[in-house]
Amino acid sequence: MPSYVTRSRISPGSGSHDDRFEQWLREAARDYHRPGDTPREEMWRAITARRAARRPWVLATQPAFRWGVGIAAVLALGVAIGRWSAHGPVVSPPEPKPSLAYRLAAAQYLTRTEALLTGFRAETRAGEPAGQFATQARELLATTRLMLDSPAAKDVRLKSLLEDLELVLAQIAQLPAGADREDVQLINQGLEQRSLLLRLRTASPSGPAARAQGAL
Amino acid sequence: MDERELIARVRAGDGAAERALYDAHVDRVYRLACRLAGDDDLAREFTQDTFVRAFERLGSFRGEAKLSTWLHAITTSVVLNGLRKVKRFRRREVDLDDAAGVTGTRRSAEPDLKRRLTLAIDALPEGYRTVFVMHDVEGFTHEEIGASLGIETGTSKAQLSRARAKLRDALADFAGEWVS
Repeated sequence: MPSYVTRSRISPGSGSHDDRFEQWLREAARDYHRPGDTPREEMWRAITARRAARRPWVLATQPAFRWGVGIAAVLALGVAIGRWSAHGPVVSPPEPKPSLAYRLAAAQYLTRTEALLTGFRAETRAGEPAGQFATQARELLATTRLMLDSPAAKDVRLKSLLEDLELVLAQIAQLPAGADREDVQLINQGLEQRSLLLRLRTASPSGPAARAQGAL
Repeated sequence: MDERELIARVRAGDGAAERALYDAHVDRVYRLACRLAGDDDLAREFTQDTFVRAFERLGSFRGEAKLSTWLHAITTSVVLNGLRKVKRFRRREVDLDDAAGVTGTRRSAEPDLKRRLTLAIDALPEGYRTVFVMHDVEGFTHEEIGASLGIETGTSKAQLSRARAKLRDALADFAGEWVS
């Protein structure tokens, strides 16, 4: 007789026939599709990735998105200043120096992009889903295009960096939730070949200490 | 942090609160999904579906029931709808009365009681099986089952009683195990 049955045996005379059956049944059924340990972290990663993929526009209510909108607004102001200066008085005025707000926004944009690309490279190399980065990449892509249309693009080196970032962010933004490993590998190769992370760190006017504080 | 505060923070988009809510409930949701699905991969998928839906719909949670009850209602809905779509579940949908291979087998032909019991529970009609698993296996009360499945407490009790009766018939040749 299997040990399982022996463990489940009810001693004689321990209640009515029905009660004994019910008690025996409850004990015997404990092994019915018995769950193992909860794969907590694995499921959490899948949940966050799926939510990011399914709800790109709901992020509008979240602080990170509002912060991104703030940057975009400041950059748009920078664009307006640039255009105004381009069509301004004929008498050649001195080039307007970008405002502190504009420089802050640009520095924060570079910091966020660096964080995204660093995270993307590390997570995808560890086999994590790439789709979770698509929403943030889409948001930063819009900011990149504003940057390209702003006074920042007058700097040839920065313009070249922004154009490369535009390409790689567009690739990440278009990745589906279950992206092919090959697609992800191509993006990572592009990051390496163009030395994007190194150029991003060099381009930031603030230096590592200020970047760590998340501002200038 | 109490439940109400946790929910408010999740609604405000607090990522740490989302994780806290998940941590507080994931074990029981996963256990229930495993018991009902009988398959680890399906249970993971159903658990993920449950939390994705829960986070999406938390704005409509009015707090009339406990959060756990609300989550278990989503879990049972996700699992039962999911199982209906899975081919593997077809054989479990066969009514126990039609499952001659299970009910009519002599003990000598199928000596493993554990396997016989598993097959017999699998063969229960969906409503009976769900109530049986929730009550006798996972320890939910009839009130909790009623709230999760959207049925009356009395219906839950009746379905449990019928489930037990069917299992008793199916395992009749093992009667010595509880009669002796």
